[in-house]
Amino acid sequence: MTLVLENVSKVYKDGPKEFKALDNVSLEVKPGEFIAIIGPSGSGKSTMLSIAGALLSPTSGRILLDGENTANLSANKITQRRLEKIGFVFQAANLIPYLKVKDQLSVINVIAKNKNKTRGNELLGHFGLAHRVNNYPNELSGGERQRVAIARALINDPKIILADEPTASLDSKRGREVVEMLADEIKTRGKSGIMVTHDERVLDLCDRVVTIRDGRLEE
Amino acid sequence: MFLAIRELTHAKFRYVLIGLIMVLIASLIFIISGLTKGLSADNASAIQNLQADYVLMEPDAELEITKSFIPHKKLDDIAKIDGVEEANPLSIRMMNASVNGTQQNEDVALFVTEADGVLLPSVSEGKTIANENEVIADSSLKREGIEIGDTLQFGEESEFTIVGFTDNQRYSHTSVLFMDNGQRDNINAITIQAEEGKIDAIKSTIGDSLDIVTTEEALQGIPSYSQEQASLNMMIIFLFVIAAFVLAAFFYVITLQKRDQFGVLKALGAKTIYLVKNLIGQVVLLSVICIAVGVGLTLGIKALLPEDMPFLLETSGMIQTSLLILAVSVVGALVSLVQVVKIDPIEAIEGAGK
Ligand SMILES: Nc1ncnc2c1ncn2[C@@H]1O[C@H](COP(=O)(O)OP(=O)(O)OP(=O)(O)O)[C@@H](O)[C@H]1O
Ligand SMILES: [Mg+2]
Repeated sequence: MTLVLENVSKVYKDGPKEFKALDNVSLEVKPGEFIAIIGPSGSGKSTMLSIAGALLSPTSGRILLDGENTANLSANKITQRRLEKIGFVFQAANLIPYLKVKDQLSVINVIAKNKNKTRGNELLGHFGLAHRVNNYPNELSGGERQRVAIARALINDPKIILADEPTASLDSKRGREVVEMLADEIKTRGKSGIMVTHDERVLDLCDRVVTIRDGRLEE
Repeated sequence: MFLAIRELTHAKFRYVLIGLIMVLIASLIFIISGLTKGLSADNASAIQNLQADYVLMEPDAELEITKSFIPHKKLDDIAKIDGVEEANPLSIRMMNASVNGTQQNEDVALFVTEADGVLLPSVSEGKTIANENEVIADSSLKREGIEIGDTLQFGEESEFTIVGFTDNQRYSHTSVLFMDNGQRDNINAITIQAEEGKIDAIKSTIGDSLDIVTTEEALQGIPSYSQEQASLNMMIIFLFVIAAFVLAAFFYVITLQKRDQFGVLKALGAKTIYLVKNLIGQVVLLSVICIAVGVGLTLGIKALLPEDMPFLLETSGMIQTSLLILAVSVVGALVSLVQVVKIDPIEAIEGAGK
């Protein structure tokens, strides 16, 4: 099991008011499994994904990344785990505006001190971006940008891929292409994937769909 | 530096603009420093280069050598004090000299001392004085067309012949002439070289009858010296403060614009220290380039200045100033560092944690 959420709750404190965004949520993701999370706005999807990705700490419960409880780790260690084990794809591609496509991937290699620099070109070729390596993000289409973001999430060969509405900025055809690519990566390389989405038409590409409502999971 | 360099080259225009401002500020700092040093030397190099540790003056003169009067016989008493290695008379008179009996007049500062004393500077051209009618002149007089062998006359007094030139001897923005004291009854001041650690004993022996100050302190008695230096130094300090604020504001705004990027990079696993290093790297890179261009610009401007302009650039001073500008720039960027540290990677995910 690469990613386990065990009885996770998250309470946001806003002055004296408390808001329970996640209520005792448990979820296990196996290698090669691609899970979709759907639910109404404000139901806690992003919160759950952030906690799974060690961007946010839970109020209670445990998160096991590769068997390791992230709650006990220092901030630096958590950053290091994110770098090594998790690939994020955000709603907007969130590319760095002053980096060429190839450098969008290289920067992760630099941060991770990776020696293997060829993987970036392979990935970009794989996602049909070979002719775009020297372009800046503002010269790309939305779909191309999101594909770069996926390649960036994969460059460090993480075991877990987390995507928060990766298709939100794309039309349905491009959106489906992007999710197909994600699903393909997860299947062929045995990664664990969680994707938050509003788009019901891509759910058939996922192995499992969980619904979240008012912070509680329903399958 | 991966990010730092790529951003600098991508956003060339904005960094060239801020760079230009930095270059101008740096150059201004260098130029005013050069002017400060130059005016200081022009006003006081004869005192700064005096072969003496301390200057003794009449207390009523309040450090103004020309207003102090000491009987000549006092010199022998001072020379006998235990710990005094050298004691020399020094009188300074501001004079106007007519050259070779012609209409040409030059302002000069007469430094009257003993021909065989240590105060007489070594000559860079010609020979040293042999009698009361010979003088050594500062080489700045050469710019007025004065040569060795020329005679100078002060009012009705006898003529003096220039037998040698010496360098860097200016006082109160005028060229200094060194001459023998002859048999004057009164002298303005006595300079001494003291044995290591004996100065307190010497001071107590002399008591209140004379003020004993270091040559450095004696500079304050030169008319307008401290006011001149203080106002220029004030300008320099202000320029440093301006440099710090300009850079602080610039990098603060840029960092604010880049919040999202920093959030994403942190979410993707970049440690805060990595981002901080890139920011500092940018500031240092930008500053070093701007300082280097500023140095070049200053040297260029120096070449264009007229020769008699009091302007002095010393390598050691330039290096010190450069390092100080660099330090001030980094301090200015610290405000932005706080921003970078505070950015939460959760901001990368839409909707959560906001
Ligand atoms: N930092 C916070 N402080 C207080 N409340 C918060 C905070 N972050 C999120 N919330 C609340 O928690 C709930 C869940 O938020 P979350 O962003 O997880 O929803 P979501 O399911 O991703 O919604 P959407 O589909 O609109 O993105 C929302 O009601 C939101 O207002
Ligand atoms: Mg959300």
